[in-house]
Amino acid sequence: MNKWVWLLLTVSCWMAAGFALCGSRQSQAGKEAIPPALPGRIVSMAPDLTEILFALGLDKEIVGVSQYSDYPPAAREKPRVGSFWQPNIESIVAAKPDLVITLTTTGFDQQKRLAMRLARMGYNNLTVKLEAIAELFEGIKQIGKATGRRHQADEVVCDIRMKLQKLSNLVGAGEKVRVLWVVQREPLRVAGRDTFVNEMIELAGGENAIGPTVHKYPPIGAEQVIASGAEVIIEPDMGQQDLSAQQESAFRYWGKFENLPAATNKRIYVIPGGEVSRLGPRLYEGIETIAKCLRPHLFES
Amino acid sequence: MRAEAMDQLLRPKKLIVTTGLALGVLVIVMVACSLIGSEDISLRTALSNSGVAPGANPDYEILVQFRLPRIILACLVGAALACSGVVFQALLRNPLADPYILGISSGAGLGAMIAVVGGLNWTLWGRSPVAVFAFAGALGTVWLVWFIGRLTGKFHVTGLLLAGVVVNAFFSAVIMFLTSIAKSEQVYSTIFWLMGNMAEEDFLVLWVGAGCVIGGIVALFFISPQLNALSFGADDAKSMGVNIVKTRTTAFAIAAGITAIAVSLSGLIGFVGLIVPHAVRLVFGPDHRLMVPLSGIVGAIFLVIADTLARTTIAPAQLPVGVVTAIVGGPIFLVLLVKHSRKIGWLK
Repeated sequence: MNKWVWLLLTVSCWMAAGFALCGSRQSQAGKEAIPPALPGRIVSMAPDLTEILFALGLDKEIVGVSQYSDYPPAAREKPRVGSFWQPNIESIVAAKPDLVITLTTTGFDQQKRLAMRLARMGYNNLTVKLEAIAELFEGIKQIGKATGRRHQADEVVCDIRMKLQKLSNLVGAGEKVRVLWVVQREPLRVAGRDTFVNEMIELAGGENAIGPTVHKYPPIGAEQVIASGAEVIIEPDMGQQDLSAQQESAFRYWGKFENLPAATNKRIYVIPGGEVSRLGPRLYEGIETIAKCLRPHLFES
Repeated sequence: MRAEAMDQLLRPKKLIVTTGLALGVLVIVMVACSLIGSEDISLRTALSNSGVAPGANPDYEILVQFRLPRIILACLVGAALACSGVVFQALLRNPLADPYILGISSGAGLGAMIAVVGGLNWTLWGRSPVAVFAFAGALGTVWLVWFIGRLTGKFHVTGLLLAGVVVNAFFSAVIMFLTSIAKSEQVYSTIFWLMGNMAEEDFLVLWVGAGCVIGGIVALFFISPQLNALSFGADDAKSMGVNIVKTRTTAFAIAAGITAIAVSLSGLIGFVGLIVPHAVRLVFGPDHRLMVPLSGIVGAIFLVIADTLARTTIAPAQLPVGVVTAIVGGPIFLVLLVKHSRKIGWLK
């Protein structure tokens, strides 16, 4: 039995030593980083953030972007620092950033952990939340403030707001078009009410054909499709380069639903995903694309 | 008779030399892997001045703050899973046994899922609720399976195994149920966790984890002679004068404990606990006094290498380490199996 006592004692001492050594260090951690007035080396951890940074004219200051930052084209030339959900903290530190911008998203704590870790090491970081259009405007202003581009940020926001106002005048307050927004066909998943896509549809003069659901992007069955009475079906492209191929298969797939107005009137649109799959400075362009699908006649001139 | 034969097989000198050599290899692998990564760093720059201001010496920060903790974490998890694999294979007398066979994985998964769906948001000594709940879920499940197994009879492993399989299936179903009623975005973080995720950990967590895992392995080494006897079967062990219930309970508790720690540190990493014990047994023979320490060290080496591959193969992105352990480990194991299995029978 003696060896067991020794083992227990050794392990207890080891633990005690650990807490004595690190416990105190942990409490005093988090030496506050002093944010530079004009950050010169910025790392963006999400494609939407990259778009905002470029829109604010920070091309030269960006020293690292996340894996899928593909817009504007100049973003593709920037060094990659891992993806949004698997940030590569080594590459981030190697880029010697003086500002790291992370995105908080409900459900993913990868970015939150990254931000906490960077903060503990004394790196200056900014966390932005972009899940609704109001948050986008707020986020652009936050980033503008942190990068010394307050003026440009206000301009970007004003510009989007103005264009949206014009669009809403054009569309008018008439009958809403019922839209089914398809994110995935097999199994069928559509955009629910609690999404920014829903906001975009409403701003474009439509209304979501699917009522309130538990999921943000609920999986639905054929019955709900018929019940939705969708007048227009929109499919953002699902990664294929060739939109016409997807358009063709969409007609074939939705042709089954004979009683669905969208299918009978062949109002099924496949649109490029870039503008509508993330919230960024291209918000207006995305909404305009949707509006064109809903009321093509308004845009013919 | 057989126990005496076993005693003759292993001399202390052989044990010390083999373990020492294996430790040496582990240290070499750790140093080598700490110099490999998506960023090229030079050891000289890194050690020239320990960076004071953040960003002043990125080489030092990368080496000391990211790579070293991650490599130590891989060592601990690999060692814990491999050793507990040895114990489960011996106790259950089943070559297919691994640390997850009695429901630890689904119990931990369920714990993690509850933490995520419940939207908990606090930290305990730097650990997230997911880790704490996974740990609790793992231990709770093992206790449940053990309890059910005991009801079926003290000396029968079949009852225990079946209880494990059923509890596993039941908890997996509960996980599926929670997945389908949870808001979809809550599910994603669990998916990453389920695939096995080596995040860089904080120093205190590593320190405490190391204490528990190394302590557990030493304790398993203490009871390894009894494990030898048990692997012949309960009746033989009894005739050799081994207290079966006590040995089983102790070994079981320790193995479950270190597995739960490993799981709470890094999610579900498969394959290590299955193939490392087999590989060690095939190469060094079935004596548990040698198998426990060697499996620990080989498991650590294996997971450090697998994790280095996971970090570098598609850099700057990363693979889940569970993918690498299966892809790398599978073929290596098959080669060993074919080469050695004619020489040595299973668990004889």
